[in-house]
Amino acid sequence: MKDNGIIEITFHGRGGQTAITASQLLAECAFEKGFKDTIAIPIIGAERRGAPIQAFTKISENKMIRTYDSVNNPDYILIFDTSLLEIPNIKDSIKEGVTLIVDSVNPLNKAKLPKNIKIYIVDATGICIKRGFMHSSGPILNIPMLGAFGKVTGYYDLKTMEKVFKKEFGEERLEKNMNVAQDAYESVKEV
Amino acid sequence: MIKPELKDFLQSEETKIIKGNVAAAYAAKSARVQVISAYPITPQTTVVEKLSEFVDGGLMPGTQYIKVESEHSVLASLVGASMAGTRTFTATSGQGLFYMYEMVHWTAGVRLPIVMAIASRGPAPPWNIWADFTDVISCRDTGWMSAFCANHQEIYDEILMSYKVCEDYDVLLPKFVAYGGFILSHTSKPVIIEDQDKVDNFLPPLPDEKGWPHIWIDPNRPLMHGNLIMPSGFYSEFRMIIHDALIKSQEKIKAVAKEFEKTFGRSYGNGLIQEYKMDDADVAMLNYGDLALQMEEAVDAVRDEGYKVGMVKLRHFRPFPVKDIVEISKKVKVLGVMDRATAFGSQTGGPVSSEVKTALHGTKGTAMVFPMINGIGGREVTLEQQKEQLKILIKINETGELPEDLLYGTLWHGKLEVD
Repeated sequence: MKDNGIIEITFHGRGGQTAITASQLLAECAFEKGFKDTIAIPIIGAERRGAPIQAFTKISENKMIRTYDSVNNPDYILIFDTSLLEIPNIKDSIKEGVTLIVDSVNPLNKAKLPKNIKIYIVDATGICIKRGFMHSSGPILNIPMLGAFGKVTGYYDLKTMEKVFKKEFGEERLEKNMNVAQDAYESVKEV
Repeated sequence: MIKPELKDFLQSEETKIIKGNVAAAYAAKSARVQVISAYPITPQTTVVEKLSEFVDGGLMPGTQYIKVESEHSVLASLVGASMAGTRTFTATSGQGLFYMYEMVHWTAGVRLPIVMAIASRGPAPPWNIWADFTDVISCRDTGWMSAFCANHQEIYDEILMSYKVCEDYDVLLPKFVAYGGFILSHTSKPVIIEDQDKVDNFLPPLPDEKGWPHIWIDPNRPLMHGNLIMPSGFYSEFRMIIHDALIKSQEKIKAVAKEFEKTFGRSYGNGLIQEYKMDDADVAMLNYGDLALQMEEAVDAVRDEGYKVGMVKLRHFRPFPVKDIVEISKKVKVLGVMDRATAFGSQTGGPVSSEVKTALHGTKGTAMVFPMINGIGGREVTLEQQKEQLKILIKINETGELPEDLLYGTLWHGKLEVD
């Protein structure tokens, strides 16, 4: 959290991995849980499936958020695809004190990362495949990643997610979404 | 303080976390617009997409949604619909606005109260789809009113206020409601969607079957439209009354902003401008659009360092609030004017700087105006940069010295560092 009480989150994904929707849903979950202001900022250019995609969310417990600038020193970074960690810009953006939440089965190679960071992993891809939670170009990673984020931070819980998903996706798809969210919520672990 | 404040959210049951474009669509829905004509263009697309969902889902009963083949047809069809006596809405952006330019003049010429949301983007080439107000500002002399929005709530609120101003019989002019492409159109923030009854009471009633007082399409009252007028005819007088109506719209904008505040509890200054910490300021920055909101944060930060700085948010470019600009420029010693738009060849800075300089011409005891340009084509302007901008003004005030790297008297931020 910054001095001004604003928590900043960066999302790194690839086109089609639903990272941009994740930034919006995270803002909704935080607001639903009682955060007073939020902003979701997608960085949009010429989107292609597979291309690196960035998005940011800022959430604030008590203060209005009056900035639109992108996040340079995030408190949390959500990585939807471990191959993104090889990209120099993204690797360099991981600074001391940050918490990483990564879609990965294996622990990361810590030698390549700065010290004093926290790393959590969750097998978001595996959960989606197991639950058949897919769209035309692969697993819908945003829901499990949000589940993991909620567990790691405690900023919102499964109940909050249920309310938001109900509003966003309707009753019909609620159970499918919640199954995936819960699997991630329960299986995310620090490494 | 730019609204909404925290307490406004807490009191509202209908707060949604939505994109700026979706806020524009909700405003059109709340205003019960009767005809929407649509052609998508980035970054405006989600406005008309959302509206098509509303219409298709039966949430806007009685609204006609027309899909057309180009932006020119968008406005041509709305001119027809509005002449027939309906409340109309559309949205566009950059190149789309340029393509409808012929009809932009026509709309004001026929005095139609059409409201159009503009997700402003930089003009091509090179292709640019990010925030830059050159698109809407290049329609300066068309007779349209134009407003800038600083946040998502203001998009919703300004569209509602605009219908009330436009449809006033003393005004009867169209209006652009502009907001930065992507920076507002695609980011999501909490927006209060007002109760329908409250909006209905605030807005004038929808036009009845007789339509507007000055023009109609009605077989029982035959009227010829759009014919040629000789130079000796009333063309000149007609232009004069458009000019007169645009000047007079200032009073209406002020009155509507006041009534809006009373009804919904959100203040937009006097409607034309909004001041932030100007009472004891030595220097101030004039901003418009999203950067005005972020500048509030910069003002607070620089004040914490002990400098008396302030900010003026320009809400309307047309009508241009000459009186208010004169007044605020008497409060400070240096007034920076920050444009997010270009006016090629102007030696008085960007388009708004030039207007400010013209407004102050011949008036004594006003601030030194310092033109600045930033954020062109969506180039990011960070909070840190905005603090630096304020410090430039402080330095000018203290030393009387201008920065060295000016381009024809204007400071251009965001020059590329070339090795």
